[in-house]
Amino acid sequence: MVQQRAGESRRPSIGRQGAAGRESRYAYLTLLPVLLIMAVFSLYPIGYSVYLSLHKEVLTDPLNHPFVGFQNFNNVLHSYYLISSLTSTLVFMVMAVPGVMVFGLLASLLLNESFAGARILRVAILLPWAMPAVISGIVWRWILNGDYGVLNSALFQLGIIHDYIPWLSSPDLARVGLAVAHVWREGPLAAIFFLAGLQTIPTDLYNSAAVDGAGRMAAFRRITLPLLRPTIVIVLIYETIVAATTFDLVYVMTGGGPADATSLISWYAYAEVFKFLDLGAGAALAFLIALALVGVILLYLRVLRTEEQR
Amino acid sequence: MSGYVARHGLVRRAALWAATLVMLLFILGPILWMLSSSFQGESELLTRPSHLLPQQPTVANFGYIFTGAVPQGLDVRGTLRSRISQEAREVPAALENSAIIALTVAVLNVALGVLAAYTFSRIRFRGRSLVFNFLLGTRLLPAIAVAIPYYAIVSALGLLDSYFGLILVYLTFTLPFTIWFLRDYIVSLPIDIEEAAQIDGCGRLQLLLRIVLPLAAPGLAAAAAFAFMSSYNEFLFALLLTQTINSQTMPVIVSSVATNPDASLALIATSVVLAMVPPLIFAIVFQRFLTRGLVAALGKS
Repeated sequence: MVQQRAGESRRPSIGRQGAAGRESRYAYLTLLPVLLIMAVFSLYPIGYSVYLSLHKEVLTDPLNHPFVGFQNFNNVLHSYYLISSLTSTLVFMVMAVPGVMVFGLLASLLLNESFAGARILRVAILLPWAMPAVISGIVWRWILNGDYGVLNSALFQLGIIHDYIPWLSSPDLARVGLAVAHVWREGPLAAIFFLAGLQTIPTDLYNSAAVDGAGRMAAFRRITLPLLRPTIVIVLIYETIVAATTFDLVYVMTGGGPADATSLISWYAYAEVFKFLDLGAGAALAFLIALALVGVILLYLRVLRTEEQR
Repeated sequence: MSGYVARHGLVRRAALWAATLVMLLFILGPILWMLSSSFQGESELLTRPSHLLPQQPTVANFGYIFTGAVPQGLDVRGTLRSRISQEAREVPAALENSAIIALTVAVLNVALGVLAAYTFSRIRFRGRSLVFNFLLGTRLLPAIAVAIPYYAIVSALGLLDSYFGLILVYLTFTLPFTIWFLRDYIVSLPIDIEEAAQIDGCGRLQLLLRIVLPLAAPGLAAAAAFAFMSSYNEFLFALLLTQTINSQTMPVIVSSVATNPDASLALIATSVVLAMVPPLIFAIVFQRFLTRGLVAALGKS
């Protein structure tokens, strides 16, 4: 960022003359370290990514970097892996996002009750969110293990299955397993957000609804859901972004397999760079992902603004 | 409503407790299962069906990670794998790396963050909203998109495989949130005392240090807790920017222990438990701050 000279500000924020220059100087000085770090780590990456995406940059061919225009974008857009990873990402999101929302909503309704169970749950629910995503991935990979996993063991002892199931070796089941692990990790966060929304609803509304003879289900549908709508919309968009960029879980749970079933878009971008060593294509793909995400985030901000006006 | 409650109170309480127990089982089950596994020997973990509680509890796994004493089960069955052992032995060093990095990020983050946040909340200067929006806008860049350029920068600075490289990167991830969060926090504090002190001739820095800091302490604690946890938990950049145990963090080491196809189950479980302990303690201690901070993070824009 270009720093403006101190002293140019003509709007003194405290009464005395001459203090304005000192105020501005203080302001710029205190912001300088932060701005310096953030500028280096945001403007340079953007420029460098633009450069990479427009050149041939394959690490196995290190001396050959011709300008190739939009060829990297073209290659990525027509790649078989793009379609397959987009499909995997969509399938994952269709399971993970509603899973997170429903879990979060149910948990928040429990958390909002006043009994000892809610107070225990309030501490417990932060734990899955608090640990590193790779750690939760490892935990779930083990639980779902086909030879000695505890899920198989439990289902077997309950007589639900007669043979151990290799959950993560079947493409469909691996996708479900990944989604369950994701819900375990992200659901608690959604629950906390929903709880905050629930706590802004005045209790009077429920009391007068009860006086009018409305049952609990009716009160939930007529009062809770409509008043929770802004929170639901925000959490929905936030969780959509989180699910669309899931990477850590894939890395430790499935490595994108089996048969690319869990090769989500961020995993594909990672593989393009760090497995195929094609920096140009990786940068082009990263650009497309960033573009899509910025689109979602702008939508998010827009929705936030309209919700605030309601 | 009271008649309704009297009639349905008992059924309702039972239903609430049942639902809570199911939810607790789902949330805590995996964590408790890891804890139980870390006290089982390798052969016990390979039995079908699994033992929910260790029948021959042992601390040999922890002993191996911290002292290098080989657990009996692995020795007798001749299944000790040298490669995995070395990795698991790196867990204590990785814990130390993670703690140093995350604590440094938390401290620097709050120090730089509150300095900037106070300026944004109380001083009017040219370019204020431009600078503020620029800082927030940097968070729009998705991690995977900046991975290669970040590697290039850190490498050019000669900071690959060093604490400082990761600390710098994590600061860029956490600072925008901290500044935005603390700015709102400081704006909500009463300004009267500051104005009175200003008339007495207090400078801005003195105002910040003597008056604002004590009042904003809960906000600072929440910001520090967030910075600590997001640094401790980060994986992708830790993987890219570290090469040796000189700087590798817990997520990197434990994932390399666990994704080794020859992995010893007992040692995976034990490493996982050790990786969980710091953030879980943090989450329990800072529960109120974290919950409030999370809510604030989502609620405002």
